[in-house]
Amino acid sequence: MAEIRFEEITKKFGDKVILDHINLDIEDGSFTVMIGPSGCGKTTLLRIIAGIGPQTSGKVFLDGEDISGLPPAKRNVAMVFQNYAIYPTMTVKENIEFGLKNNKVPKDERERLIGEISEIVGIHELLDRKPGTLSGGQRQRIALARAMVKKPKVFLMDEPLSNLDAKLRVSMRTELIELHNRLKTTFVYVTHDQTEAMSMGTRIILMNKGVIQQEATPSVIYQDPDNLFTAQFIGSPQMNVLPFPDEKVRYGFRPEKVHLTNEPGQYFYTRKGHIVTKEMLGSETIYQVRYEGNSVMIKSLEDSFEQDHDVYIGVKKPNILLFDEDERRIRPDDARYEQWMSKL
Amino acid sequence: MKPKITVWSVVSFLLKVILMVIFIFPFYWMIITGFKTYQESIAFPPSFWPAQLQWENFVKVWESGPYLLYMFNSFAVSIGCLVLQFLIMVPASYAFAKMEFKGRGFFFGLVMVAFMVPQQVTFISIFHMMSRANLLKTLWPQILPHAANAFGIFLLRQNFMQIPDELLESARLDNANEFQILTSVMLPMGKPTLVSILMLSFITTWNNYFWPFIMASSQNVYPLTLGIDALRDVEGSFDWQIIMAGNVILVVPIIIVYAIFHKRIVRAFAYSGIK
Repeated sequence: MAEIRFEEITKKFGDKVILDHINLDIEDGSFTVMIGPSGCGKTTLLRIIAGIGPQTSGKVFLDGEDISGLPPAKRNVAMVFQNYAIYPTMTVKENIEFGLKNNKVPKDERERLIGEISEIVGIHELLDRKPGTLSGGQRQRIALARAMVKKPKVFLMDEPLSNLDAKLRVSMRTELIELHNRLKTTFVYVTHDQTEAMSMGTRIILMNKGVIQQEATPSVIYQDPDNLFTAQFIGSPQMNVLPFPDEKVRYGFRPEKVHLTNEPGQYFYTRKGHIVTKEMLGSETIYQVRYEGNSVMIKSLEDSFEQDHDVYIGVKKPNILLFDEDERRIRPDDARYEQWMSKL
Repeated sequence: MKPKITVWSVVSFLLKVILMVIFIFPFYWMIITGFKTYQESIAFPPSFWPAQLQWENFVKVWESGPYLLYMFNSFAVSIGCLVLQFLIMVPASYAFAKMEFKGRGFFFGLVMVAFMVPQQVTFISIFHMMSRANLLKTLWPQILPHAANAFGIFLLRQNFMQIPDELLESARLDNANEFQILTSVMLPMGKPTLVSILMLSFITTWNNYFWPFIMASSQNVYPLTLGIDALRDVEGSFDWQIIMAGNVILVVPIIIVYAIFHKRIVRAFAYSGIK
């Protein structure tokens, strides 16, 4: 059991508000990913859970217990840092053992735990080495082992894969998912990489400027965003967002929801445009199409359209999202929905 | 691949040899003079090797005064300073580098001021203070004023500042208290710097002449430097071979310390950052 609850968490550095009255529940056993642009407060929130960067006001609960005032070591959480924070003067084994020793775990119990964890993480043969001689991936594993050996209620991870090369990052991603399935512990994972968020998270918390924009499963975040920020932050290329002429309300559609045809098709939204650029990426092709002064990105499995040619684009009605003047979603059950849709 | 011999490499080699001779020659001269007879030591042209090694010179030095006591005093003062400096410098540097507290900038400024004020400005008032505390007949006036090493605090603080905060945070999550963080994480990482600071400090204290000259008011608290200086008076006017033999006795401990730690010192000065 490890459920985290934030109540009215606010964090200020001087006059600057980093987190603004955050209320949030993180479910037990979830792989919760906090994502957002840099400076959005995601790492600050993580550090508040760990107790290494206390909140200005508000409370944090772990399993219903108020941990707001507890020192980091008494919170039963473990953290993996972006730069791994491995003690460079200790051997790998000493690194893993340090916390156990401080917690007065008996020696044979320590040996057993280290043996077990280093087997799981695959660093058994590295135990006597110094961190300076290890690769980034190996250091990453040590940081993981050091966190795991404490059998914490919650794993906190602060962009743990961002210092790895692309290939290693993909394989570590899979390993972390497996690890989560195996341990069934609550993971709270901070990243700015939407691929990591979408692929690993069971819940995503999208933040911007100290405020939670949306908290949902990856597919809800992608298919049914609450607001313009969420719609544009997740997805690559990002969602096409266009204004209604002379209005503040906007509509948007994802690049892969557009159909390209040589003749006008039977779609709710049809326009004739001109292909300005074409990027062939292998399995898919990205076209940039310009029409009525707008420029949109289109992701297509079809490679048959040529640059500098005219083309018809078509989007189905459910694939068009509306955003009001405050950048909030206008959903189909909203009274304004049909009124705006009819203007397209 | 054989290194190519170029004009530059020859010039560079010769320059290094010349520099080395310039630095080593006074040592060499001191040592061989210490083994000469009086006649040889003042002979002209000088000889570069004594006709016979005069070990008696060293015996004479040793017998001309309580040199065992002087040596003990020198060690007591140097090691006393070292211990006190260590005890003060390490926590001070840690606090200045990693802790937030009111007046941190001000107090660090004070340390820097202490670093810049020369001893010659403060010795009269310190002497006065020691005299009023009735310490003049002890070794304390030679130790206490050097208990805080401002330069060392500065250097070690710079070193500690380079250690990423995440390491400390990680240690806090590992249930380490501040003392454990200092001894298990910070100190091992600052060791090369610390060793060289303490070594330089040992050499400075051991070689110090001015300070004990002011503070040592009885022969019982003389360090070796004052003892060697006294050789001039005991042995009449300049018996160079005796004075040089005394100097050899004086520098031997330093050379031993340097021989043990020289790699550390070089590394500390080449130490630019922590990966």
